[in-house]
Amino acid sequence: MSHAQSESAREWRHAGASTASMYGNFFFWLFREPFPTRQLGQQIVRVMLEGFGILAVSGVVEGAMFAWLAGWYGMKFSVINWAGAATLYLLLSAATTLFGAMMFAAKIGTAFTVEIGSMQMSGQLDALRLMAVEPTQYIVIPRVLASILCFPILKAISDACAIGSSIVLARLWFDISAPIFLQHALLVLRSTILTTSYIRCSLHGFFISINACGLGFYFQGGAIELGKTTTKSIVINLICVLVIDTVYGVMDSVFGWSTV
Amino acid sequence: MIRAHGVRFAFPGRTVLEDISIDIEESLTTVIVGRSGIGKSVFLKCIVGLLRPQAGSITIDGQEVVGATRQDTLSIRKRIGMLFQEGALFDSMSVYENVAFPLAYHRSASAHEIDKRVNAYLDLVGLREYARAMPQELSGGMKRKVAVARAMILEPHYLLYDEPTAGLDPSSSAVVESMIRRLQRERAITQLVVTHDIDLTRYIADRIALLEDGRISARAGREEAFAEPSAIYDHFIENRERIRAENGSQG
Repeated sequence: MSHAQSESAREWRHAGASTASMYGNFFFWLFREPFPTRQLGQQIVRVMLEGFGILAVSGVVEGAMFAWLAGWYGMKFSVINWAGAATLYLLLSAATTLFGAMMFAAKIGTAFTVEIGSMQMSGQLDALRLMAVEPTQYIVIPRVLASILCFPILKAISDACAIGSSIVLARLWFDISAPIFLQHALLVLRSTILTTSYIRCSLHGFFISINACGLGFYFQGGAIELGKTTTKSIVINLICVLVIDTVYGVMDSVFGWSTV
Repeated sequence: MIRAHGVRFAFPGRTVLEDISIDIEESLTTVIVGRSGIGKSVFLKCIVGLLRPQAGSITIDGQEVVGATRQDTLSIRKRIGMLFQEGALFDSMSVYENVAFPLAYHRSASAHEIDKRVNAYLDLVGLREYARAMPQELSGGMKRKVAVARAMILEPHYLLYDEPTAGLDPSSSAVVESMIRRLQRERAITQLVVTHDIDLTRYIADRIALLEDGRISARAGREEAFAEPSAIYDHFIENRERIRAENGSQG
């Protein structure tokens, strides 16, 4: 193994150890006093503001994209009346959760890694420790809890944008009116589809934020290493999102939550 | 008193501190000098329990730091203020909030008391008019002064400085030097400074220790350290002059 390869392997081992340590650290400090209520409030506002734009835009794009695909195939196979149902089913059960989680990892996850990594680099985390403030409690727990709480709300916003854009595209491109587009939607949308997708969002929020915070928290090095760590943050989180959705898919096929 | 005995610290594959033994005397300013990368900051972090030495003992007022429980470490840290390189101010907080943070977080004083104390310490470092400014609006010297005010707000018995003038221009360095000297004179705080800045050392030190090859290789009072010949004088002056002469002759 060359030096570069062994260095890269060492960096990935460190990244894995960092995220693993953060899971233990998080649960160790979660139930200890004082609970960071004020910081949680600040992070909820911050995550909502930072996540709103990207999740809304991705919702609009996904809605238009899926409506176009469903409309095109609907026309081709003469089942255009089902285009709306197919679009909304795909969007709400899978697409806005999966793509939303990717956007969340890219926007919020990387922001957490860079922010906490910079704090580590500049000695701010050590300064907190010296003031008898545990950084996990003060920095990490509010960010993770805010992500768990906010991502489902952001997904709801993304859903609304996706539904809106799909209706508009169906009307403008395929000349399908909104009532016809939506007429079969309620037949296929079961409550479990929505509840499981929102629970998945909370899970994504938890894993993305813990991974991102862990990589920043245990960061070592300078500006170049911080850049590499941020790249690792998004790579690890995208893999994590795909793994969670794959596991969900397997469980869904076993338990039939999304069966129409 | 801070007392270190036989302290040894190593990162994986590299020993930084071999065998450090030193007593930091009460109400004096002790300066540990040594070239960059020799382990001065590591030693400070060992003292405050941010790093754990592999061997040796560090006691603060008789209380052992190495291997202390979390509770004991917290109680030790309450007696210590530390100024990090670059100040380590919290970017998202104003100067006022930075200084107030230790009191506000622990709810150890009323809002009125916090306000009074923050203003008093900002006055002490001469930055009261910058209370609403954000750290990124301050110069390097101002940041260090705010960091000192923050370190002082809990009225610690010991104040540790990690390279307090590193990266500062001469006038900002002079401001920081004067402040350290004034704190020592007016408040009789026990101060430990690690630096490679000869001018700072000459100005603030009551006691000087030379860190070389992982050991304290020489100790002296200020007059003695800068009198010729002495190990500390040699380290600073002769090395500098020799390197300048070599570079000059090459040039």
